[in-house]
Amino acid sequence: MAALQLLVNGVALGAAYALVALGFVLVLNATSAVNFAQGDLVMAGGLLAVAVAPLIPLPGIALLPVVLVLMAALGLVLALAAYLPLRRRPPVSVFISTIAVGIILQNGAAILFGPEPRAAPPLFGDDTLHIAGLAVPEQSLAIVAVAGLLIGAQQWVFARTQLGRRLRATAQDPEMARACGVPVTAMILVTFAIGAACAGAAGLLLANRYFVTPTSGGDLILKAYIAVTVGGWGSVPGAVVGALLIALFEVGVSSVLSYPVALGALYLTLLAILVLRPQGLFGEAVRRRG
Amino acid sequence: MGERSPSRIPLIAGAFALVVYALAFASPYGLRVLTVAGVYALATLGFKIVFGLGGALSWAQGAFFGVGAYVTGILGSRYGLGFETTFPLSMLVPLLLALPVGLAVLRLESHYFALATLGIAQVLHLLAVNLPELTGGSNGLAGVPAAVLFGWPVPRGLPMAGLVWGLVAVGGLIGWRLAQGRIGRSLTMLRDDPLAAATLGLDVGRLRLTAFCISALFGGAAGALAVHTQRVVSPEVLEFPVMVSILTIAIVGGRGRMAGAVLGAVLLLHLPEWFRFLERGYLVVYGVALLATVVLAPDGLTGLLDRIARRLSGGRPPILAAATEPPPLPNPPDGMTVEGVRKSFGGVLAVDGVSLALRPGTITGLIGPNGSGKSTVINLLSGLERSDAGRVRLGGQEVTGARADRLARAGLARSFQAAALPAGAGVLEAVAAARLAIDPDAATAQAHARWALDRLGVGALAGQGCDGLPAALRRRVELARSLVRRPAVLLLDEPAAGLTDGEKAELATLLRALAGEGMAILLVEHDMEFLLPLAGTVLCLDRGRVIYDGPASGVRLDPAVAAAYLGRAVSA
Repeated sequence: MAALQLLVNGVALGAAYALVALGFVLVLNATSAVNFAQGDLVMAGGLLAVAVAPLIPLPGIALLPVVLVLMAALGLVLALAAYLPLRRRPPVSVFISTIAVGIILQNGAAILFGPEPRAAPPLFGDDTLHIAGLAVPEQSLAIVAVAGLLIGAQQWVFARTQLGRRLRATAQDPEMARACGVPVTAMILVTFAIGAACAGAAGLLLANRYFVTPTSGGDLILKAYIAVTVGGWGSVPGAVVGALLIALFEVGVSSVLSYPVALGALYLTLLAILVLRPQGLFGEAVRRRG
Repeated sequence: MGERSPSRIPLIAGAFALVVYALAFASPYGLRVLTVAGVYALATLGFKIVFGLGGALSWAQGAFFGVGAYVTGILGSRYGLGFETTFPLSMLVPLLLALPVGLAVLRLESHYFALATLGIAQVLHLLAVNLPELTGGSNGLAGVPAAVLFGWPVPRGLPMAGLVWGLVAVGGLIGWRLAQGRIGRSLTMLRDDPLAAATLGLDVGRLRLTAFCISALFGGAAGALAVHTQRVVSPEVLEFPVMVSILTIAIVGGRGRMAGAVLGAVLLLHLPEWFRFLERGYLVVYGVALLATVVLAPDGLTGLLDRIARRLSGGRPPILAAATEPPPLPNPPDGMTVEGVRKSFGGVLAVDGVSLALRPGTITGLIGPNGSGKSTVINLLSGLERSDAGRVRLGGQEVTGARADRLARAGLARSFQAAALPAGAGVLEAVAAARLAIDPDAATAQAHARWALDRLGVGALAGQGCDGLPAALRRRVELARSLVRRPAVLLLDEPAAGLTDGEKAELATLLRALAGEGMAILLVEHDMEFLLPLAGTVLCLDRGRVIYDGPASGVRLDPAVAAAYLGRAVSA
């Protein structure tokens, strides 16, 4: 029973992590740039929900469209300020410019909101459901449902629509896509917007049960990064699976030992993976030089 | 990069201004800010060696800083040990941490390396918070003694600032010497093109490990001084803002230049003082400064100053070392033999059981239609790809499965199809880089590089930059890069592509002369008019297999070759 209980919590956390990792890997594939601000975008989404909530006296789910739209706009700003001017420079430039954006977001949030942990309203309700002897928080189910819907919608757009085909073409080979008439720059902007919207949604989902502080981004980018590394650098399904694995690991170990031990063990596992299987557990999707 | 050495006047003037400010104008608070700036300058000097020169984005610099801080803090406040013990240990412990970590993760791609070092930093922070018996937990440890020099406790204010800045001067000098010397130049080479660096005989892993360890020493020393300045140590020293500050200082100051660390630290540590109204939000200013620098001035402040200085000096030609002929390899080489190498990518067999022998003094041709596996063969021979099966011997040694740098040191040289010269580097510098793994110092390497350029008839290019050279000259410079190492075996990937008939004739004469001196040469070529008169033996590949291996004169008559290659080429 206890194990099932943990599984539900782990899957809920993993669903939110999966959104973070998904946004990260989409941008990675479209631009081969590492967006180090992804964690801070999650934090920004969470605090945005906290800030908007008093204005909309409805359940948290009503905040979702607002957060998605505003975060997509922030994603566009990120692309315009930190990616487009640097697209012809070595990848490390974009790495550093997104670190800079992360620093600005994190400390801007600290000035606006202060360092205290904040909570966003629950998506539907705060109750705990009792299903077959399992006590399942409503919020956990809502997180899984909303994250699942968003990931499904994103997959549908990428697989079935003209926009999705163009986005995939851009991710696969920008030069070729440009030659075929795909507006590559616009597609990259859209990808950044989607990536930031994913992060924002994750922020809203996480900010109720796990709270949000201006510094929570650092932890989240690490987890997205680990998820993507574990799942095979550049693989979209791998990132989602990696996120779920990390969350289950985290919930499992911290229930037996403690959260710091779980985090420490997670990092040590990551180091072991990097040393033993640098191509990730499921192989690497993006081909590298050398 | 090392080559540029503008006048030292701004450096001396800057140091003088700093001293005058410290002695005559600074308030006690101002001195404290200056001291902290010195601490960060020291930490950033180390970071510049691993990141600025070596191009590896290490998040561990903040961790080394924190470990150095905790070593001094714990030993000083708990065990009452003095500066003469704690300071060396504060450098030693980060070094002992860097060694195993570096060995494990240094061959990783840059973003994985960043992630791995970030993970280490996070683990250390967790340990500091969760081991209160040792570290004082999240409150940290108070009562760290002052630094004691020869029995004299250095008080806060001017003496402490003097101690810190004295060590910055020593550290800066060491960093500058390293940057100018063989290590610095090898690291730069590695940063700009790791693949080419390996084929020039540089051991990528060992170089990065060295840089990582040096950065740990600097980080630890800075952490120790920080604790002597603050007199307390808490998990703050392991937190994100420390690393953010170091990264920002390094980028804003200018990535490759040691003076940039000092300039950046003085500027950025004083910046929050001017933005006091933001209180702790000063890091927003750092973020903006970092972003603006990366976008607008990627070479940082010292890069801008360099550009101004060069404009003022009107681009004086640098003084070049006299040309010297490099000694040939000590062991008489006996060529390269390859037996049955095989390589598949995924399910595709790219090279299927190729055998060849490159004897001293011969020129061997390798031909085949596009996609027949020629480039893979040359990559296998030079160690850039690992073969799945087969044996390779070079100069009498078994070298099966050896990495590119070891093969290069054993006497192998190769060129790339697209002449790979580092962007922004000078011609002489680029050629001298090929000797870094052999020569005792950078000056000798340059003298040897001049010899090679002269030999190829492009000695006049020595003072120029690689950017903007016409294709034919780029090829010659790249050939000089191979030649300067006096290899026993030379692999050339389409050296005649894009050359005029006159240039091809010159190249043919040169290659004959090199073979006459005992070099074994493998030529991958499409141009039969160029290749066939030159080569003794020719091999033809088709879909990874050797379909012809015999005298050059027989190639045109061979039906299999005609079917696979010449037939198509002639009819086209």
